[in-house]
This record gives sequence, structure tokens and C-alpha cells, in this order.
Amino acid sequence: MGLTAPKVISGLPKEEADGILRLGDIPLSQMVELVRIDLPAERAEPLLERGVLPGCRICPVRSSPTGDPIISVDGSLLALRRETANCLCVRLLSDVS
Amino acid sequence: MRDLSTTPEGATLTRSQVENEVRSPLIALIGPPNSGKTTLFNRLTGLRQKVANYPGVTVEKYVGQVQCDRERTVELVDLPGVHGFSARTLDEQVTRDVLEGHVEDLPAPDAVVLIVDSTRLESQLMLVEPVLKLEIPTLLVLNMWDELEERGGNLNEMELADLLGVEVVKTNARVGLGVERVKEFLSGVEIRERGLPPPVRVLSNVPRGVPLPMIDVFTARRRHLDKVVDRASFVSPGPSRSTAALDAVFLHRIWGPLVFLAVVVVVFQSIFTWAVPLMDGVELLITSSGEWLASKLADGWFQSLLIDGVWAGVGSVVVFLPQILILFLFLGILEDSGYMARAAVIADRVMYRVGLQGRAFLPLLSGYACAIPAILAARTVENERDRLATIFITPFMTCSARLPVYALLIAAFIPEGRLLGPFLGYRAAVLLGLYGLGIIAAVVTAFLLKRTLLRAQPGSFVMDLPSYRLPSAKSIGLRLLDRSKIFLRRAGRVILAVTIVLWVLTQFPRTDAGPPLIEDSALGRIGQVIEPAIEPLGFDWRIGVGLVTSLAAREVIVGTLGTIYGVEDATNDSITLQETLRRDLTLPAAIGLLVFFAFALQCMSTVAVMRRETGGWKWPALQFCYMLALAYSGAFIAVRIF
Repeated sequence: MGLTAPKVISGLPKEEADGILRLGDIPLSQMVELVRIDLPAERAEPLLERGVLPGCRICPVRSSPTGDPIISVDGSLLALRRETANCLCVRLLSDVS
Repeated sequence: MRDLSTTPEGATLTRSQVENEVRSPLIALIGPPNSGKTTLFNRLTGLRQKVANYPGVTVEKYVGQVQCDRERTVELVDLPGVHGFSARTLDEQVTRDVLEGHVEDLPAPDAVVLIVDSTRLESQLMLVEPVLKLEIPTLLVLNMWDELEERGGNLNEMELADLLGVEVVKTNARVGLGVERVKEFLSGVEIRERGLPPPVRVLSNVPRGVPLPMIDVFTARRRHLDKVVDRASFVSPGPSRSTAALDAVFLHRIWGPLVFLAVVVVVFQSIFTWAVPLMDGVELLITSSGEWLASKLADGWFQSLLIDGVWAGVGSVVVFLPQILILFLFLGILEDSGYMARAAVIADRVMYRVGLQGRAFLPLLSGYACAIPAILAARTVENERDRLATIFITPFMTCSARLPVYALLIAAFIPEGRLLGPFLGYRAAVLLGLYGLGIIAAVVTAFLLKRTLLRAQPGSFVMDLPSYRLPSAKSIGLRLLDRSKIFLRRAGRVILAVTIVLWVLTQFPRTDAGPPLIEDSALGRIGQVIEPAIEPLGFDWRIGVGLVTSLAAREVIVGTLGTIYGVEDATNDSITLQETLRRDLTLPAAIGLLVFFAFALQCMSTVAVMRRETGGWKWPALQFCYMLALAYSGAFIAVRIF
């Protein structure tokens, strides 16, 4: 597990193998686990510093008026641009806490 | 400063202790943004704090004295809020430099206080591991403890202290709980033997010589922390109900933008309209005190220098204070309460298209009242390049000083008449057009800047949304005091200098009867010298003189033109001035002059503040030349079109 090279965002299938989804596609109040960050190190750094790491639990809490997701990560609320959210690969958690 | 004759427990001083005795111990205060760090700093230092700049950068350095018991004082430096030690953010670089002792005028800290928001413990404790690498006495402050318990969270802080190997204190800095124990730690800090600063960076997000990708370093650190926190019986707090309830409104699809608009209108109105009586009051104070002073002095050049030069110069600086204070009061409340982050989220998408950030919205909007407080307010933009781009385009916002100029020229040259039925007349249309020109110039310039000189450094936009909290009046008050001091000290110097220079130019060469007529003065000569340059724009030397004097402040040109044309009291009797102008300027030239004022940076106060905020003359000089070139070409084109 590590950072992969930046991918072209458009044209990716909604659900890849192993049930991996993009955070941007997750409905509100659905708890997920972060699997992978599809961003180069420099762009991912602000996320890593704030605790958005593979293995952490993320839950989209609401959508901003402009359609960008607001997520809850370990008790912190973070606002992301949807372009960034689409680079976060997540997996559904069977138990929604 | 410690009393040299006594030491704790009466031990004798070692030689190196004696050598180091000339300073107080220095403790660094570090922590993520929104952890209550500044509130703690203010609680500990109160008024005994100074703000300056770190050498060579625009990051502010807050150093204060803490009065501990036993007549002991220590120095506390409040470092910028950081999440890590990236090489990419100015704040994080500066923090690193200070902690490692690489900053010239600060010794390496003798101890460090790390403050975190205990409701976000797991992510905020990530700073602990790198800080412990410094191997200096460390205190971990778990702030917002009250909120943690309210939300059903808990932690065994003694266990945490054991596991991490640091002292731990629970606090609620806002009301002062636990602050005494922080002081106890501070008073126990001894000055360390100062070795050389480490040649290799100790603090960094990716440790040197470790061939792991950053994500693995962070993940490993997090796994370790999770174990520690678990063994300290950490119970995670539930979500903040009040925050969720407020966000349901403030980030609502419809209500959110409406509230945002309301906030923007209130802030804007306050600096545009409500500050006016305060500013008038200040002006009255300056004028009446000036008159009083004048009556005490004999007539002559000294009196003129003091009153028309120095006093007027001081006045032109101080008059901005009410606007600045009001704006910063609002910004302080919005920021500390947590609302600002939400506003930035709402504005972000629009600003993103232009290459700027959501946080730049409110500062830019304030530019419609006056660019000076707007440029100062742009500090809320965290990314240095975004901030530079923001303040670079701020003077394009049609500030209130342009309005007297616009009003005069439009009244003199644009006919009354309806353009769009009862909704829009020619005069209003021209005014609106000028506002539009400003916006277009700003947007295009921002776009160009972000593509060329200020190309964005890579970094995703992630915005922390802190819990909503009641702002601390004391903290905001102290910050307002700091802001005023900085502004008066730095910007004031330049503005004062320019006013005096202009005054001198009007006073020489003197005739027997005293100061010369404006045509014969040095200033008038300058106007005549630049006349060939501005002739293609349809301006003559009189307008030239006006352009030079309005460098002090845009609206000055109205009074100057009045003086030149021999019109008494030009600001109140504009009819005569209008008629006079019509004889001297053609319609196309008048439009050219309007366009010139829309684009040109005619405000030494703005230049002074730009210099202060960018740490040098490079950017203000570039800005001045760029806007002058734009103004010249705009006027050139306008004269030929109309």
C-alpha cells in the first residue's frame, strides 16, 4: 500500500474490483475506510498531516452549498474540494457506527 | 532576567550557566491551528508581548514575557499554527527553523509547549513524535478539555504522560483553567547549554535518510499513536451537537449562502458607512489640534512644515484606524467563532476559478471601502502565493477614495439622460462601467499571476472546520492592539515621508512674499516636465500636477485642481470647478482620466502597506508599474475611442 501515480480522473468505473469506491460517490452518513490516496506526495501531504491516512475512518457528513463534501475524520470536520475527494479510494464498512 | 546570586536549591553555577545568564529561558509554543494556542499565549503574556517579523519573511513573530512566581520571567514565542513540518508551507518552515535554532535573533528554545485540541486528539498528537526528537523538556497541553468531557470523551492523562514521556496538563484556556500549571512548568525551565544547531534537519515530514514514502511514515506514526491513546483509556468524544446544528444552517444549500451574503453586507457596510463618523471624528481631532498648535507658533515655514506637513501626514495615517479596527474586530469574531472556515468553503468554488482561495473573499470585498485594511486582512489566506496574488489585485477594487474623483468628472462631462428606461441613466452607467473595469482587471491579473509569477505550489485544498466556540474578548482585544501598533509604526513612516516631500515641493522656490504660486513651485515644474508624457492622453500640466499630488491620496486631486484653477473651496463648490474643467479637458480626455484613476495605484498608503505585507519593495514596485502601465494604455485607448 502506498501512493500510486496520479491517474486521469475521468472515465474510471464507479466501482473497481475489491469493492473500492471513490469518496465522492459515497452517500452521506455512510462510514467508510480509506484504502488508498490517488495523489502524488506533495498534493497528499496536507491530507496526511490532518490524519487522512489509509486505515482511517471517514464519514461524509454533509454537502456544501457548492456540492463539495464535508467529511468527519476521527472527530475532525474537514472540507474538501470534490476533485480531491475523488482521489480518495475507500471501502464500505460493514458496521455503520 | 534571573537573579544571578541565587539558583534553585542554592547549587553553585557552572561556567556555562554563567555564560548563558544574560538571557531569560525561551520556550516555544507550538500546536495546530484552532487549538487555542493564541488564547493560551495571551493568557500567559497579557500585554507583555511584542510582534515583529521573522527576518526576511512575512510570517509574524510573537514573543512575550511570562511572569512566573518567585520573580522569575521567561520568554515565550508563539509559533504559527502547524500540522506538520512540511518543506512546502512557509509557516511550517519557519516553525522548524525556530525550534532547531536556525533563526538569527532567537536562541534555540530551552523547552517546548505543545498544545492540542483534545477533542481531535488522535490526529493532533501526530506532532508529538517529531517534537520529541528535539530532546528538550516538553509539556503537552490538552486544551478544550471541557468540551471533550461535555461530548462524552475521556482520557487518563497520567497514563498518557507515562507512555509519551512528557508532562501533561489539561486546560480550558478560554476561561483560564489549568493555566497556572502551565506556568509552573515554565518557571521550572532552565537554560540549556547551547550547542551548534544541527546540520541536518531534525524536524521534517519525511525523515532524512529514510527511504520510505511519506505515507508510510505517517501511517506508522499513526499506528503507534493509536496504541498509546488506547492504553491511556481514551474515549472518543461524540460529535458536537451545537456545531452540527449550526452547520445545518450555515452550510445549508439555500440558507448558507444567504447568511454568507448577510455577513458580507454587514462587514462591508460597517467599514463603508459606519466607520465614517469615527473617521470624521478623528479628522476633526487632527484639524482642531493642528489649529491649536498653529496658534501657538509664529507664522513661517516651520509652522507650515509642522501643520501642513507633519500634522497632515500623521492625520492621513491615523484616519485609517477606525476602518482597520472595525474590520479586524469583525474578522477576529468570525475567525475565532469558527464561522470564517464555513464562509471560506462557500466562497471557495467561485474564487478557485480565478485561481484564488475562498478565504480571500472577505478581504477582497473590503477593498471596495479601502485597500489598506483589505490588504492587512488578507493574512487569513494561509497559502503565501495565494495571499500575494490576493493583495496584488486588491487595489483594483474600486475604493471609496476614487468616488470623489469619479463624481466630479462624471458630473462635469457625462450628460444626464436615460440609457435604460427609468433604471439606468448615462451617469450611473459610466459609474457602473468603472466598477466593472476594476473587477475585470482584478480577475485577469489574478489569472495571469497564478499562471506566471505565482504559479500555485502543489497542495490539495483541505479546510479544517473547527467546532463553533465563543470568541474570547481578551484575545481579540489584544490582537487589535497589535494590529494598530504594526500599522501605525510601519505604514505610517512611509505615508508621513511622502506627505512631507510633497509639502516641500509646494514650498520652493520661495518668493519674497512667501511660498510660490503653484505654477512656479517645484511641484508645478514637475507637472510641466511630465506634460509631454501625458499629452497623448489629452492631459495638460495642471492635470499632471493633480496626478502627482493624488499619489498621496486619490481624492487630493479635487482640491489640487481647485487650487490650480484658482477656485476657492473646490470640494464644496464643484460647479465652478466643473465649468473650468470643461474648458480645459475634452470629453474623451475626461473619460481617459476616469479610466486612468480606475487602474492606477495612486495611493502611497497602499504602497506602504504592500511593502510591509510583502517584506520588501519588489512587489509594491511591480504593482505600481504594472498598474501605471495599465492606466496609461487604458487612458490612451479611451481617448482615441470616444
